[in-house]
Amino acid sequence: MSKPTQLLEYSQKSEPCLIKVQLFEGPLDFLLHLIKKNEIDINDIPVAAITEQYIDYLELMKEMNLEIAGGYLVIAADLSLIKSKMLLPKPIIEENEIDPRSDLVKRLIQYQIYKDAASDLVNRHILGRDVFKREADESDPLMEEVEIGRVDLWGLIEAFRDFYKRRSYVWAEGIVYEAEHIKIEDKMQEVLEELGRRQILSLKEFLMECSSKLDLVITFLSLLELIRMQTIHIVQQLPDSSILVRYLGES
Amino acid sequence: MKHFDLKKAIESIIFISRQPVTVDKLAQVFPNTEKTDIRNCLTELVKEWGDLGRGFHLARISDGYQFRTCAEQSEHISNFNKKVKRFRLSKAALEVIAIIAYKQPITRLEVESIRGVDSSGIINALLEKRIIEIKGRKEVIGKPFIYGTTKEFLEVFGLIGLGDLPTLKEIEDISKNLEPRIPTAYED
Repeated sequence: MSKPTQLLEYSQKSEPCLIKVQLFEGPLDFLLHLIKKNEIDINDIPVAAITEQYIDYLELMKEMNLEIAGGYLVIAADLSLIKSKMLLPKPIIEENEIDPRSDLVKRLIQYQIYKDAASDLVNRHILGRDVFKREADESDPLMEEVEIGRVDLWGLIEAFRDFYKRRSYVWAEGIVYEAEHIKIEDKMQEVLEELGRRQILSLKEFLMECSSKLDLVITFLSLLELIRMQTIHIVQQLPDSSILVRYLGES
Repeated sequence: MKHFDLKKAIESIIFISRQPVTVDKLAQVFPNTEKTDIRNCLTELVKEWGDLGRGFHLARISDGYQFRTCAEQSEHISNFNKKVKRFRLSKAALEVIAIIAYKQPITRLEVESIRGVDSSGIINALLEKRIIEIKGRKEVIGKPFIYGTTKEFLEVFGLIGLGDLPTLKEIEDISKNLEPRIPTAYED
């Protein structure tokens, strides 16, 4: 059995020593590749031969110091188990005997269908690749007026998490900070006052003003509370533009 | 007469909009008009722009309508505007999208059991791109998140709804014809 060395190919690009490895999307993808390459009937997989090739590939990955995803090892174990089951002598041949390969075959076929579904998707007229819509221009005054997309809770939390990670507060060990007393109610009032003056503000502006982690969290919580009360609205013009906080007024 | 004006008005609104314009939205703009009239105008507009055979057409996308360029123009547009947002999704990401699109609502673990490989990074990236979203939690131990596709998914892939996608059975049949070497093992 030859080693799958054809999996390696040198890149055409000028970067020195850049080796392109045809990596698979996962163990099932790789198994399907082996089945196709060897022109095997998926319903009658020669498990011993395939297992050997499969393990050769894992060895190759190891040699190249590639991290082997856990899923590959799970399938390797499955293959070995099937192989050993098939080697066991069968004392009585039953009518409805289950082929030890059937579960794996079912998974492979199911996976193949989703792979086909994925290539069906990629063949569609994709926005930003094949077809285009009118693009937003930063300097476009219409930007302010155009209906803006909703921001879901996930988007908001993601923005908060990003901000939280980027903002580095200095917390020295052993220093006891005086307990801060910030109430959500007070913060909400502050937020509303600020919005009363300026109507619309970016989420970043609010979070920037926070002096500590606690302040940051309280500010965020008060924004959530105000959204719940439908006093403010969170909007975003484009999926990757900044999240804006808009005042709706007391209702 | 009124009908004729309405059509032009709708057309101009869709022209200036960057997001698909929905019938509901138009109904808000024209409160004294029946939704049926709005729908009729939209159907006519789609047909008229299509019949003109221009570089762009009026497309029904998600629950709305949007002007889009025709696929044949993609190369020229990319050459003209290097800054246009390019579509970038890896093969793995597309697999995850396909699985979620067909099996939604679905947990991360269920996606991973189909793919046989960890998919958390891809799922997070797709959440960020808003192609998928968290639809809730599954009522099982650990209450994992369940994911589904978004409006943005429909927009990116030019779909009116999920019903627009070929069924898995159809996909299976097509791939059977393309690859006779992989016969099916089971039938539904």
